[in-house]
Amino acid sequence: MAELSLQHIDKIYDNNVQAVFDFNLDVKDGELIVLVGPSGCGKSTTLRMVAGLEDISRGKLLLDGRDITQVPAKDRDMAMVFQNYALYAHMTIYENMAFSLTLRKENPNVIHKKVLAAAEILDLTAQLNKKPAQLSGGQRQRVAMGRSIVRNPKVFLFDEPLSNLDAKLRGATRREILLLHKRLQATMLYVTHDQTEALTLADRIVCMSMGHVQQVGTPLELYDDPANIFVASFIGLPPMNLFDVALSGEELIGDGFRLTLPPEQLDLLRDYRNRKLVLGVRPEDVTEGGTMSLRVSNCENLGMNTLVHGKLGEHHITAKFRGWSEYGDGENVPVSFSRMHFFDKETTNAIRKGGD
Amino acid sequence: MSEDLQIRTDRMRYTKNKVSARLALLAIVFNVVFFISLYKSNVGTYYYNVLMGASIVYNLVFMLAAFLGSESVKNYRRGYSWLLVALGVGQLIRIFIYPMNAHQAVVSGAPVMGDGQFLLSVICLVGSALCLFAAAAVNLQKSRALARHIASLETGKA
Repeated sequence: MAELSLQHIDKIYDNNVQAVFDFNLDVKDGELIVLVGPSGCGKSTTLRMVAGLEDISRGKLLLDGRDITQVPAKDRDMAMVFQNYALYAHMTIYENMAFSLTLRKENPNVIHKKVLAAAEILDLTAQLNKKPAQLSGGQRQRVAMGRSIVRNPKVFLFDEPLSNLDAKLRGATRREILLLHKRLQATMLYVTHDQTEALTLADRIVCMSMGHVQQVGTPLELYDDPANIFVASFIGLPPMNLFDVALSGEELIGDGFRLTLPPEQLDLLRDYRNRKLVLGVRPEDVTEGGTMSLRVSNCENLGMNTLVHGKLGEHHITAKFRGWSEYGDGENVPVSFSRMHFFDKETTNAIRKGGD
Repeated sequence: MSEDLQIRTDRMRYTKNKVSARLALLAIVFNVVFFISLYKSNVGTYYYNVLMGASIVYNLVFMLAAFLGSESVKNYRRGYSWLLVALGVGQLIRIFIYPMNAHQAVVSGAPVMGDGQFLLSVICLVGSALCLFAAAAVNLQKSRALARHIASLETGKA
């Protein structure tokens, strides 16, 4: 059982630069939380504060209800997996995995059992006598995870563990982490800047920007119902198309296109008659056929999908059509939007029913 | 076999035989102390002969061989136990060459090697030999146990 609670946490460095602002999060037992955001958004700093590698400037960190804000890293019962693996090159995989327990002077037989069990989980049994240099990047990362598993910590912390791997290996290791989480049912905090990792791994995602939490929710909530323009543009690949628009009568008017809105959306936007609006449309919600015209600039065929880049009026737009489509440069393709998101231009927040 | 013992044996598949390796290294240390104490003697020309040349060469060979043996027994290589045994026997034989002869020799009315130096030399050589024998014995016992354990794993008994 490991419930983690981060309450009003700030990080201010000695040079008065604030990296994290009022971070609040309750992590349930066995939950896999992914902190996602661009470089410099404060996600790694937050993780390091949880690990005890950075001081918490303000706020409280609770583990199972116990205040561990001032507890040293070694006494927090958390294990961290780093991007660069941090393995000892002169030790075998077995010795690397056993190292933390050896330092604690645990019974060697107990260490042996734990290391073998972890190696079995991670499919590393055949590699135990090798040195880290003899393993692939993915295997090394599994060793780093194994070193955490043997400690049986309350919380696992992952700091961009897949960033050093190539794309294919990243996918395979990602699936292994997911299986590991299902098997161990452990509380995990995972930091990444890769939204694919976030969407595929997380029970809940914390999306961060400039040290602020932008949205906390399930992957589907962040994808389907982004809280603001930042989340909308960060989550989803290719990113959401965003257009500055104005509401006039029953029509949404953009720079070079018009769109008649159905009554329920007009009702949603009734307070925005004279205010600036941003329309968001995911590329996969741009469908072939309709009243608007997309002028194609280039196509990217991905096999089962085709990304069509072009212009809708004066706005750049990317559409993701199913199947293999071939359009010539400058060709006009009739399109419509199957789903739309609306954002307040001033606050950048999503416009939702009831203003929540 | 009790579970505890079985796990201890299984551990050897992934851990080094540090005991044997360290004992072999300790044997080298004893040997170094021995030849340093021998070479510091200053008793005219007693040591200026071909035997001293051979002794120096043997010291080098001994240290190389003992180190090789140390590294090998670390990985439970059984054959190297016999190398360590041979080196140990060599150390015991050496007692009857330099320390013994020098202790009995007299130059200009004074003994070449005093009782203290003789005792130190003998202790070093005996210590070195005992370390090598112990290293070999531990390695023989462990490597046999490991071989039996691996064989039983391969036949699916364990």
